[in-house]
Amino acid sequence: MAVAAFAAAVLFAGCAQDAPQDTFQPKGPNARTIDDVQRPLFYVAGIVGLIVFAVIGYSIIRFKDRGQDMPEQTHGKTWLEVTLTVIPAVILAGVAIPTVAAVFDLDDKSNECVINVTGQQWWWEYDYSGTCGGVEITQPIVTSGELVIPADTPVLLRITSRDVIHSYWIPALNGKRDAVPGRLQTLRMEADEPGIYTGQCTEFCGLSHARMRQAAVALSTADFQTWVTNQLAAYVAPEAGTLAATGEGTFVNQCSRCHQVNGLVAADGTPVLAEPDLYVVAGAAPNLTNLMTRTAIAGWTFDLLTDACREQLWNASPEEFGSLYLQGVWMNSGPDATKPVCFAEATLRDWLRDPAAMKPNYASPDQVASTGGLTRGMPNLNLTEDQIDQLIAFLLERK
Amino acid sequence: MFTTGSKMFLGATTLSVVAAVVFAASQGGAVGLMSTVGLVTAVIIFAFLAGINFFTRDGNTPSMQQGVEQTSSAAQAPVGRSMWPLGAAVGIGGLIVGAVSKPVVFKVSVVVLLAAIVEWMVQGWSERASADHRYNANVRSRMLNALEFPILATIGAGAVVYAFSRVLLTANPDAGRWIFVVIGALVVTGGFLLAGGRTTPKGTVAAICTISAVALMGVGVASAISGQRTIHPHPVIDDPSQKALCLEGGEGEVDEHASQDVSLKSSVVANIYLQEDGDLVALINGYSGIEYHELTVPRSARLGVIFHNDSGEAQRLTGRFGTFPDQPEAVSCTTAVHPGKSAYLGFEIPKTNAASSTPLEFIVPGVDGATIQIVVP
Repeated sequence: MAVAAFAAAVLFAGCAQDAPQDTFQPKGPNARTIDDVQRPLFYVAGIVGLIVFAVIGYSIIRFKDRGQDMPEQTHGKTWLEVTLTVIPAVILAGVAIPTVAAVFDLDDKSNECVINVTGQQWWWEYDYSGTCGGVEITQPIVTSGELVIPADTPVLLRITSRDVIHSYWIPALNGKRDAVPGRLQTLRMEADEPGIYTGQCTEFCGLSHARMRQAAVALSTADFQTWVTNQLAAYVAPEAGTLAATGEGTFVNQCSRCHQVNGLVAADGTPVLAEPDLYVVAGAAPNLTNLMTRTAIAGWTFDLLTDACREQLWNASPEEFGSLYLQGVWMNSGPDATKPVCFAEATLRDWLRDPAAMKPNYASPDQVASTGGLTRGMPNLNLTEDQIDQLIAFLLERK
Repeated sequence: MFTTGSKMFLGATTLSVVAAVVFAASQGGAVGLMSTVGLVTAVIIFAFLAGINFFTRDGNTPSMQQGVEQTSSAAQAPVGRSMWPLGAAVGIGGLIVGAVSKPVVFKVSVVVLLAAIVEWMVQGWSERASADHRYNANVRSRMLNALEFPILATIGAGAVVYAFSRVLLTANPDAGRWIFVVIGALVVTGGFLLAGGRTTPKGTVAAICTISAVALMGVGVASAISGQRTIHPHPVIDDPSQKALCLEGGEGEVDEHASQDVSLKSSVVANIYLQEDGDLVALINGYSGIEYHELTVPRSARLGVIFHNDSGEAQRLTGRFGTFPDQPEAVSCTTAVHPGKSAYLGFEIPKTNAASSTPLEFIVPGVDGATIQIVVP
């Protein structure tokens, strides 16, 4: 009974509908190339496996020792050995032809956009420059968590790592590619239509490997142009005397050692430049210039959107997806709103209060002795509730 | 009720359960967790094998035949002396010596002790599997030869490969090529002749192989004692006291020992070419066929470029990687590269170029205009 229940659970798990990381649901030409190979191979291997299990099971039960005489022992049967060699060879040859062809197809590097992807414990950074899908990027853009790409456009990722080996994988768009320190590997992505496609680091990379997630967000060319324009917009300081203005000072004092907000200037007018290389093992921390345009934080693990808004965005049609996504946490809020309807404030508040409680890391004082004080995640800054209020007010304007 | 084979696996299961409990209780941290997971896995595997043996009644032991319980008495005396107690004693002695001397002695002793225990256990079990000594020896072979042959073959092949690698590391690169070619040709030719000749006695073949392997290992030991040659895979000058060398023009020194052939072409951020007309261009990985004078790289990431000298004289590539607060300018360069040759230059820039008081760029000293700007967002 228990075995039957277990088998049924495994069987029915394959029927899951809400499975965004299902490798059998390709959403782009590269993933479809893989699917065209793996799906028939899965069927062939499944049939071969069933035959093998059936023969072994039959042999075990049928020829169990019941005290019968030992059967005649023979050695060598040429026709059987040749047959059992030729059949697998033919199957493997049949498998090899489409597999090799698919490998060469996937190695195609022609593209209309190149994006640097850099992994570190435990998040992904993306930086853009040049031209992407016909959209001019006049200044480098640095973002994290969400890879924003133009839909129906071949994009080439140049993947590396700052600390240990990671692996970049968004199953709906392509296979995996390891991110190896000191090496630069390429992987082509292309999404058929606008939407959000999730992934996961697939090379064990330390304590919070399971919380190193990522997503590709595909937008129409017009929406991608809007996204680029917004990312490159000049910094607008909070209005003087507001909570956000106080939060700007708190950010400079508490956060800007590691986190960059482009355009931010100190009281003396000099640019505030983050120096994460002095505080973090990887030498980098997420750029927060446009934090509120993203839908999740901390290695794309915790939603910045409320559950209802998340459902709305994820289930949006390709036609309406872009306009919703570009509003970020200000989705459904209207142009005159002072407070975003879709903002999961409790999540960000909890994160600022104690990051390690939400995402295990090596950032407490007793854990950084071996790294000369450098952390592997965000440390607990022991912020007061007032400081958290100020920071949230400031960050809400990073949109 | 229980067959001989299932008894052994039940014993192993019990031992694994005890070990898992003891290990889980006494060891903490990731090592303890992983080891306990391993031991629990062993429990599951041994229990599964015990069940299989019980169900199939050891596969081919006709234990239900009449009278077999008398003829296969477990009380029968062992066949003869065993070398494994001696092996286990050597292992235990090595453990003690290794604990107070070198870790490698301790680790090797653990392997020796485990091997001796497994061999001893299986031999002891097999000698009582039935009253037929020949059958018992056959059972032992079937159990252990599947492990012994691959392991011994791996050790033997590893020793030969390791000895050969010592020879190649000692010889200079040109001689190494010829050694590889000659020995490879001899092995292939010898194998071909032996395979084709039907009259070659097995003893002769074994003697030739043994003598060849011993000779190779002897040369390997001599080479290891002699020490490997100096290897310059990616000659780079990054000593601050030699910064002037990177920034001055002219040929400077050329590292004649370096290969000046780089094969890591698929994993670098760019290939940089000094062309005949003195222009310095980058072919950036991912931007097919386009020559760039600007290179965007992520901060704090270890990356590399390959410098190809297509000019008519020896030149070096110098990277100026920024002058950041309270630090001198970071500069490194390749040694001078012969015309037509290449060299690898690795670098890591910790901060954005906005934080640098000097430009970030690749240059070829002494060649005006040979510059590629580096952008670090």
